[in-house]
Amino acid sequence: MAEMNIPEKGGKGGKKRSKKQSTRVDLTAMVDLGFLLITFFMLATTFSKPKAMEVNKPAKEEDQKVEEKPIKQSKTYAIVLGKRDMVYCYVGADDDPSVKVDSVTFSRSGLRSMIVDRQKAVQEQWGNKDELFVMIKPLPESKYRNMVDILDEMAITGVKRYAIIDEFNPIDSLIAVQSGNRLRPKKGFTSLEK
Amino acid sequence: MAKIKVARKSTAIDMTAMCDVAFLLLTFFILTTKFRPSEVAEISIPASTAQIPVPDNNILLIQVNKEGQVYMGVDDQNTRNRALPKIQSEFGVQFTEAQAKVFRLLDAFGLPISQLPGLLSMESNDRAKAKQAGLSLEVVPPNQSEFMRLVEIYRFANEEQRIEDGRPPEDRMKIAIKADKEADYEIVNEVIAQLQFKKINKFNLITSSRGAGDSGEAKE
Repeated sequence: MAEMNIPEKGGKGGKKRSKKQSTRVDLTAMVDLGFLLITFFMLATTFSKPKAMEVNKPAKEEDQKVEEKPIKQSKTYAIVLGKRDMVYCYVGADDDPSVKVDSVTFSRSGLRSMIVDRQKAVQEQWGNKDELFVMIKPLPESKYRNMVDILDEMAITGVKRYAIIDEFNPIDSLIAVQSGNRLRPKKGFTSLEK
Repeated sequence: MAKIKVARKSTAIDMTAMCDVAFLLLTFFILTTKFRPSEVAEISIPASTAQIPVPDNNILLIQVNKEGQVYMGVDDQNTRNRALPKIQSEFGVQFTEAQAKVFRLLDAFGLPISQLPGLLSMESNDRAKAKQAGLSLEVVPPNQSEFMRLVEIYRFANEEQRIEDGRPPEDRMKIAIKADKEADYEIVNEVIAQLQFKKINKFNLITSSRGAGDSGEAKE
């Protein structure tokens, strides 16, 4: 126990006796404090660890450009990201003005179910849902969060083939105009593309 | 009737051992905690279900805040040290010995390079409070943007350091992008486009983790 016995000196001879005092200290408060700080450090260490999302962009090699096989439109799905967290998706067709464009939001019943439905359709037509190719086209005014969300959505729904595309076809332009989005990036940007 | 005498026992418990344990654990947590470095910009990162941990060291961290201002820094001090003379010659600025010392300890910065010496000679408190305008992404032919030139310098410096240390090529500096969730896509896209121009095609986007349960649900 945390007690110290203070030896008494010189008991005899009627000398002055010092009063015996307990040296016990109540440590409860100290223990409380200790555990409080432990809790703080535990929470601060483990839970604030950020995660990384790995993105691989295709290399831009002009000289050794391999002509890739065009993808059948029935295997594609275009997702256009607009401002105010809106998403517009359609089954690709460059020049078909009657294409049906769905506008949805980032939610389980919205975008998620659209992707899953499309996966099912591809599964039925081609026998393998991994044949689906998703083209992600963020408009300049969409937020960075939207891009992260859509990439996340690809991981959640298990879409194997997708790409972020910065070129817009006439349908995308039409979507942008109708939804009040700007199509061209700010002046002075993406001057490197050419 | 004889009363049964119940021996009175003290309710005080000896807390010494418990106290010892508490402080032992406390010491452990204090020592293992890596405190967040002082941040150059306030950034609230988006959430994702990605589970890959961010590499701890040897990263080039590019930060984009809500307003689309870009900040950059490397965590490796040797790389900073090597980059220093190159920055001076590339951008035609001169650092005093004191400024160079500050630069080696500076985690990240984001302002036109011509203003960098001014930032470095500030008192450390003022520097933390100083509003930095962000690195310039503007390409003025024939020069590339200051951002791109800086990326180039840091990568080159890091590569030199890696070779000198005899580390394998897998130990190259990784590129991490930490952007605010409300940052405009076009700014982040421009940063990525400029990095791709520098033949960097692999990035880590830093996100906070989110449980699989609430993923994809509309936020706010």
